[in-house]
Amino acid sequence: MDEVKIYSEAVQYIKIEMGTEMFGIDISYVDNIVRPQHVTRVPNVASYIKGVINIRGEIIPIMSLRLKMGLEEIEESKSTRFIIIKMEKYGKIGLIVDAVKEVVALEDNQIERVKVDTSEEIAHFVSGVGKVDGVLVSLLDLDMVVMEKSAKEE
Amino acid sequence: MDVSQYLEVFIDETNEHLQNLNTSILDLEQNPDNMDTVNEIFRAAHSLKGMAGTMGYKRMQDLTHAMENVFSKVRDGEIKVNSAMIDTIFQCLDAIQEYLDNIQGGGDEGTNDNAAIIKSLNGFLSGESAPAAEAEESTAAPTAESASAGSSDGKDKWKDIKLTEEQVDVIEAAKKDGKKVVGLTVFVQEACILKSARAFLVFKALEELGEIIVSVPSTQDIEDERFDFEFSVILITDSDVETAINAAKGVSEIEDAVGGYVEEATVADDKAEVAVAADAADTVEENKNVPAAPAHDGAGKPTAEKKKPVVNRTVRVDIEKLDDLMNLVSELITAKNSLVSAATADNESANDVGEHIEYLENVTTSLHESVMKVRMVPIESVVNKFPRMIRDLQKKLGKKMELYMTGEETELDRTVVDEIGDPLMHLLRNSADHGIESDVALRKERGKPEEGSIFLDAYQDGNNVVIEVRDDGNGIDVEAVKRKALERGTITEEQANQMSDKEIINLLFLPSFSTAKVVSDISGRGVGLDVVKSKIESLSGEVDVKSQLGVGSTWTIRLPLTLAIIQSLMVIVGDEKYAIPLGNIQTIESIRPDEVKAVQQKEVINLRGNIIPIIRLNEILDCQSAKAEDEDLVVVIVKKGDKQAGLVIDELTGQQEIVIKSLGKYIQRSKVISGATILGNGEVALIIDPNALI
Repeated sequence: MDEVKIYSEAVQYIKIEMGTEMFGIDISYVDNIVRPQHVTRVPNVASYIKGVINIRGEIIPIMSLRLKMGLEEIEESKSTRFIIIKMEKYGKIGLIVDAVKEVVALEDNQIERVKVDTSEEIAHFVSGVGKVDGVLVSLLDLDMVVMEKSAKEE
Repeated sequence: MDVSQYLEVFIDETNEHLQNLNTSILDLEQNPDNMDTVNEIFRAAHSLKGMAGTMGYKRMQDLTHAMENVFSKVRDGEIKVNSAMIDTIFQCLDAIQEYLDNIQGGGDEGTNDNAAIIKSLNGFLSGESAPAAEAEESTAAPTAESASAGSSDGKDKWKDIKLTEEQVDVIEAAKKDGKKVVGLTVFVQEACILKSARAFLVFKALEELGEIIVSVPSTQDIEDERFDFEFSVILITDSDVETAINAAKGVSEIEDAVGGYVEEATVADDKAEVAVAADAADTVEENKNVPAAPAHDGAGKPTAEKKKPVVNRTVRVDIEKLDDLMNLVSELITAKNSLVSAATADNESANDVGEHIEYLENVTTSLHESVMKVRMVPIESVVNKFPRMIRDLQKKLGKKMELYMTGEETELDRTVVDEIGDPLMHLLRNSADHGIESDVALRKERGKPEEGSIFLDAYQDGNNVVIEVRDDGNGIDVEAVKRKALERGTITEEQANQMSDKEIINLLFLPSFSTAKVVSDISGRGVGLDVVKSKIESLSGEVDVKSQLGVGSTWTIRLPLTLAIIQSLMVIVGDEKYAIPLGNIQTIESIRPDEVKAVQQKEVINLRGNIIPIIRLNEILDCQSAKAEDEDLVVVIVKKGDKQAGLVIDELTGQQEIVIKSLGKYIQRSKVISGATILGNGEVALIIDPNALI
């Protein structure tokens, strides 16, 4: 994460890895990135909500981004991180991601605003695709990600 | 003048004054000749008026002004208190309360002028001393008008400056000393960019000549550039007008300055009115600095732009409590330092560490207690309005009754105190309306005095506070409730026969269940008791009723002292830790698996003659129990009112004081989990709400 490029007018994204794909999370939503810690399970909630953790005295729900996007769950690894995002409606929520790569800056003209042809489930959560150094980065629509149900289920 | 920062204080104090007024006026009704009470009322009314004026709430000010006038006459013995007057005054207080509610809700006092109340208040004055009242009433308006008239045609706006009593005194004293009092209005060029800087230079130049005692707008506003292109000052000086004018004109970008001697210094009615009169006059520009002032030029405009002021909830803290806290914090620091030194010192002192930790524990416990105390407020603030309510009900219902209260000083957590008012009010209304017999003959027959009694008793019982509402009225007619329930199909005939009286009475807590034959606006719409119950339960409390037909009813509300920190039992289910609030726990039992019997597909145990249903927490919490089937069960017996249940857990780990935290908005938690807490190792444990399980 040492190479941070800043362009004027550009939006910065945190590039994360989920399986083989790269995703981007708008940095303005990100409150904190922490290493995995013990998650306390909460009974009778949606399966993708793994439970709650304590960050400096605050109880924060943790959800599995993999489960939410319909991917297979994997074992926690050394690179697993919790990205704590702050949503106006719900407060802070933690997302479990496979790995955090770097911060990238994308200008508007670098982003393709079309629905992508990745696997169906994921497409609901992507607001656009950017290209960084020849690699495609799907930009996550966080409102969709944290919403109760995926669009498909409705 | 920006008053928003005082809004909270204003609301607090107005509430306090209103409460005082209510109490005193009730008092006055009983003893109309008590001059101390009249004086007290007068003072409270006067402060209310002053505060409303300063905050720019004109309508509220007018109303309180009218009220103050009445009491001023009463105080002087010119008019006598009568019951019509008391009624009007109560209406007036309600109206003020309404203003206050509006202010609290939206930052604006609303548009109700309450002219009728003011008129009838003035009516009491005119009964015997019409001219005086008229004169006093009209002081504010004409001065404002004459002010605007005076200023519209001339430049001598300094003549419009309203003076307070002190300022007049200063002026008079200065005149006696042979000094000159000069009024001055300075006009800044409209092209001037740094108005306030120019004004500052003018002030500086004038201050070299003498002392500026008043300026309109205020110096603060001028500094903040909150003035148009002119300002007026009154200066006490040894020099003459020309010198002063020249001094002002000497500053660049000053267009003009006019002035003259102040001949006669007159006091404006009241300091509060100075502000308002000035607003109302011609300084329309100034209005935007007084956002709440509903001045004549469209009150909506300035307030609409402004965001609704958020009124924080505050607790007034006794300074002693704060001192205690401060002391404890210094002890905490001492304890930390001794730990640090113990840790860095060599092995010899290592033994001391245990001692230091013990000390630290003592301090934190006391600290916790002190902080809790800070959050505690007496329920007085809530129950004080009830005597007034019962008085009103008495008139409305045509029944004689009296409210007796004890334990108003009982303290509860601020959050609880805020919420408890409505449920209590409902229970009291219930007692007044349905409880006390309307038929006096019936009361006599039952050997009761003609006047009904309603009691409100509050007291602390261990970690709970109990509030009882009791009446010597009719009591609950169990048969009537049963009939009603059958009629509505709430229960079946068969169920009805099996139910105990108590169970039937508890039906009253079901939504939309009212036995009142006539729906009145006091109670009886059936939206009451279930709301009371759910409100109390949301505060982790419980409500219970005992009643005897013909003798009376007692409603008992039991509330935990505080909501934020509780004692709880830490348990393990599967491999997870949970907390169960100790307040709910009765006993902990070890039960052999073969003692568990099935009744109607439910598992129950027979505990010393009591049949208690058991709930396997691992099933509720959706996890695997770590225990083998033939092992003894650890059962935590919890109670809710008279009901009991046994929660089956795997293991107990002990008792702990926990801080309750919310799970946040995102997780749609199940009802069983009431919150979470953070354990010593930083992990989170969920708190089980046994009330939801029973």
